Order: sequence, then structure tokens, then C-alpha cells
Amino acid sequence: MNKLIQNEMMKLIAKKRLIVIALIIGVLVMLFTYAQYKQVQTQREKLGTSDWRTILQQQIVDTTNRLSSSRMQDEWKKQLQISLKQQQYYLDHDINPAEPGAPTFMRVFLESSIDLFIPLMVMVIASDLVSSEHSLGSIKLLLTRPVKRWKVLLSKYITLCLAISLIIAISGILSYLISGAVFGFKGWGAPILTGFNVTESGLNTSAVKLMSMWRFLLMDFGLVWFVAIVVGSLSFMLSVLIRSTAAGMGVMLAALISGAILTNMVSSWESAKYLFMVNLRLTDYMKGTAPPIEGMNLSFSIIVLFVWWAAALFVSFFVFTKKDVY
Amino acid sequence: MNKNVIRSITVIAVLFCLLWLIGLGSAVGEYYAGKPAKVPETNTVSKKVENKKGLTIVALGDSLTRGTGDETGKGYVGMLLDEIKEKSKRPAQLTNLGINGQTSNQLRKQVQQTEVGRQIQKADIVLVTIGGNDLFRGGQGLTDFKTKEIAAIEKKYLDNLKFTFEQIRKNNREANVFFIGLYNPFIDLDQGKEMSKVVRHWNYDSAEVSAAFPKIIFVPTFDLFELKVSDYLYADKFHPNTKGYRLIAERVASLLTW
Repeated sequence: MNKLIQNEMMKLIAKKRLIVIALIIGVLVMLFTYAQYKQVQTQREKLGTSDWRTILQQQIVDTTNRLSSSRMQDEWKKQLQISLKQQQYYLDHDINPAEPGAPTFMRVFLESSIDLFIPLMVMVIASDLVSSEHSLGSIKLLLTRPVKRWKVLLSKYITLCLAISLIIAISGILSYLISGAVFGFKGWGAPILTGFNVTESGLNTSAVKLMSMWRFLLMDFGLVWFVAIVVGSLSFMLSVLIRSTAAGMGVMLAALISGAILTNMVSSWESAKYLFMVNLRLTDYMKGTAPPIEGMNLSFSIIVLFVWWAAALFVSFFVFTKKDVY
Repeated sequence: MNKNVIRSITVIAVLFCLLWLIGLGSAVGEYYAGKPAKVPETNTVSKKVENKKGLTIVALGDSLTRGTGDETGKGYVGMLLDEIKEKSKRPAQLTNLGINGQTSNQLRKQVQQTEVGRQIQKADIVLVTIGGNDLFRGGQGLTDFKTKEIAAIEKKYLDNLKFTFEQIRKNNREANVFFIGLYNPFIDLDQGKEMSKVVRHWNYDSAEVSAAFPKIIFVPTFDLFELKVSDYLYADKFHPNTKGYRLIAERVASLLTW
């Protein structure tokens, strides 16, 4: 088994995919860093201050004014009310919700890349793990060895999990280094609030607790990793089922993008919450924003994703061990 | 390909895998952890004065402060800011805390907020507009302005105004406070004359309240809108338009000293 995994790792590294992914992440992080830098600057110019309390107070007043507009969808209104209450809570407790520095940038980067960007990077590796063996014809060589088929597949799957761990680590390290060069490397100990509870009546702040940034980030990373593993397993399954890598990627891509669109409009279609792609934004639960469908919470989303993950693995192994290879 | 490289990459990947697993575990654990650690309450306004460059202006009040009706979105506050920047050749910072539809009662609550207090504390100039929503109540004021009710509303309003000024003065003894008076947007209507009487009465009482405090200046606007009111009103026939705001801004600008 060890040898098999090493063999798979060797193939993965020889393909230089990880380097490509690291490059993509690096370029994107640079773009985001610059965009963020610009945003901070224009804000400073507009308000004539860099005092975060003033900026936050101004944001609160602006949101209040937007809320007073009558032409506003109820959904959107509720979202705004929740974020308003949260901002006021931060202000009342004298805690900066966006302490400047690389750790905050990492947090924002993770939170916004969890449902599309990181899964896409994972797909680059996962979607042709099996199907490329078909197209290259090397599957026959692999399967003629005196090794059980499920072992071959398992070694591939373990390699995938390791690669995903590396991708998450790469995105963390790169975003820290690149944004740190602009915003400074400090801020690991900055306080952050978590435990906001979104209920039907609005925001419940009774369970809010104070946490250090590094712990919050570790938790965020764990959630991103879990999402990446689930998405990776699903595209792994497709790579077993569909011989063409492009077709498998297309299916997965369509699912991910539909998820991003659906989260904006499914609030009235309740059974949509069992789809995996609406459950990808796990970090939002830590931050305390309203879920796309009422009644969703962290454990619900994790269970849904877990079921999808288990089903994907079952199908992959079942099909791979039974399939005729020619 | 070197075997050791592959082995070390694998080991690193395994370590990260474990780290992320710990993260996931603590996320789930933390989300359902029973008792939250107490979040420290801070109600003290930090006395630390930041190094200020130039003037600081804080605007409080209702939609007039917000600039509703002005196509440029500035309102009299924004126009005033531009003028100050131009004339004094110094940078000026504006914090606009105006909220559409705010009544004196809501303003009373707003000035009690810690952060709002801190903003007032560092201000050089405070601008206030309030009372329009108390008196007119989105047009309802047109029908019941003669009844006894209006007297009760006014009493409440004056009380709130006094409290607001007290709060401002408590936070900041030095700043010049400009309180912008009411105008009568309905002056051209049938009952405009009688309505004007009520507005003048409110303005008089507001000026009296202002006069009780040092450096709180009542700025009348009633006369600005007395002739040709429709020229200076926005399409909603209630808020000033760009021209109307310019009139107010010019009047306040003429009172500024530095």
C-alpha cells in the first residue's frame, strides 16, 4: 500500500500540477491584495480618516439608511439587518471586525474562496486522477499487477486527500506571505467574535464569544479543507464514471457554479438544502451571516456534505472494482 | 525523480492533513461548545485623541443631513464641506451620521451611543437637523396641526432636543454647534399659512432651547423657502433639491469662523 501511494505521489508531482496551482493561487492573491489595498485607500480618502471606529460607525449609518428604503426585497433586508446588528455589536465591544494585517486578509480570502475557487483548484487534480489513466492507456498496466483493484483506487484517493491538504496549505502560506508584504504580518492575536446565531427573529448575540485570530483561522482552514475533500471526492467519482476528463470537469464545474447561483435564489425552495452545492459556505456559519435557506446550520451542512462524500466514495469503489476495462 | 523528495512531500502533506483535521474538529467543537466565555463590556469612551489634521465635522439628524433630494447626493453637509475645504485650504473630515426619517426621539437614542459620543468628542463643528419628521410625520402633520395633539408632540420634541444638546455639550464643550431650523415645504398649499404659523412657533421654541446652551447657534431656514418654495424642492415636494441645499449650505457657511 505504501508503495502504491508513493507511486501515485510520484505521478502527481511529475505532472507538475501542484506548481501550476500554486502559480494560479499566487497570481490571484496578488490581484486580491492589490484590490484590497486600493479599497482601503479610497475609503480613507473618502472619509478622511483611517480610524476604524469612524469607518464602522459610518458603515452602520449607511446601512441604516439603506434599510429605510421601501423598495427592498425582504431577503436582502433581513441580511442587512443581521449584518447591521453584528457591526453594532463589534462597535459596542470596541473590537475591530477587520483588524488590518495578513491574518485578516487570509480570513477574507478563505471565506470568499471556499465555495468556488478552492474547489476549482481541487478539481484540477481530482478530475483526471482515474480518467487520465484511461486516456493514456496506462490503466491496463496498473491493473495487471497482482494488487487488488480497491487498493489501487484507495491509493489514488489517499493521494488526492494529501494533495488537497497541500493545496489548502499552499493557499494559506501564499496569501499570508503576499498580503503580509503589503498589510504587515501581524494580527494573529487580534480578537474576533464568533457564535452569532441567526434565528427567525434576527440575530441572537447571547452565545457570542471572543476568540484569537489564529484559532479562528485554524477553524476556517479545517472547514475549507472539509469542503475541498467533499468536492474532490465527487469529482473523483466522476473521474471514475466518465472516461473523458473534460466531460467530468464540465459536470463538476456546472454543479459548482449552479451552487453559487442557487444560494442567491433558493430561499423559498426548501428541499434545495439537500444539494451539496448550497452547503459549501461553511465558514459563513462561523462568521454569523444568514444561511441561504432558513433552518440550515453548521451540523446540518456538515451532515449533508458527509452523506454526499460517503455516496461518492461508495459509487467510486463499487464501479471501479466491477468495471470492465478494455 | 528523487525518492526522498517524494517522501518528504508526502510527510508534509500528511502533517498538514492532520492539522486541518484538528481545525475541523475544533470548529465543530467550538460551534457547539456550551458556555461562551464572557465578552468584555467596554462602555468607556477612549480618551485617546488621535493626531488630527484639519477640521472635523460631525453631522447629526434626519434626511436633510443625509442629503435626500439632492441629485449630487451631497446635501447641505457635503456642500458645506467642499466650501470649508476650499476656503480654509485645510483638510476637513466629515462624519455624516444622519439617518433618513429620524425623529427627535431616535436622535436622543443615537447621541447616547458610545461611539457617536466619541465622534462628537473630537468634532470641531457639529451640524444638526431634526424636527421635520416630528412635525410633518410624512404629511400627516398637514391634517392635525391645529389639534391639541401637536402641542404634546412639540413638548416631547423640545424635551428631546434639550437632551440631545446636553449630550453634545457633555461630550464636547468647545465645538460650535449649528442647529438648522425648519422650513415649511407646504407653504403653497391651501393650509400653508396656518402651517407656517406652527413651523414658526417650533422654530421660535427651538431657538430658545439652543440659546440656553453656549455656542449652539440656531440657523433659520424658514425665510429661504418662503418665496418660490417649489423652485427649491425636490420632486417629493418635501425635501430640498440641489438648489435648496445650496441655500442652506451658504447660510451656514456664512456663520463659520476660523
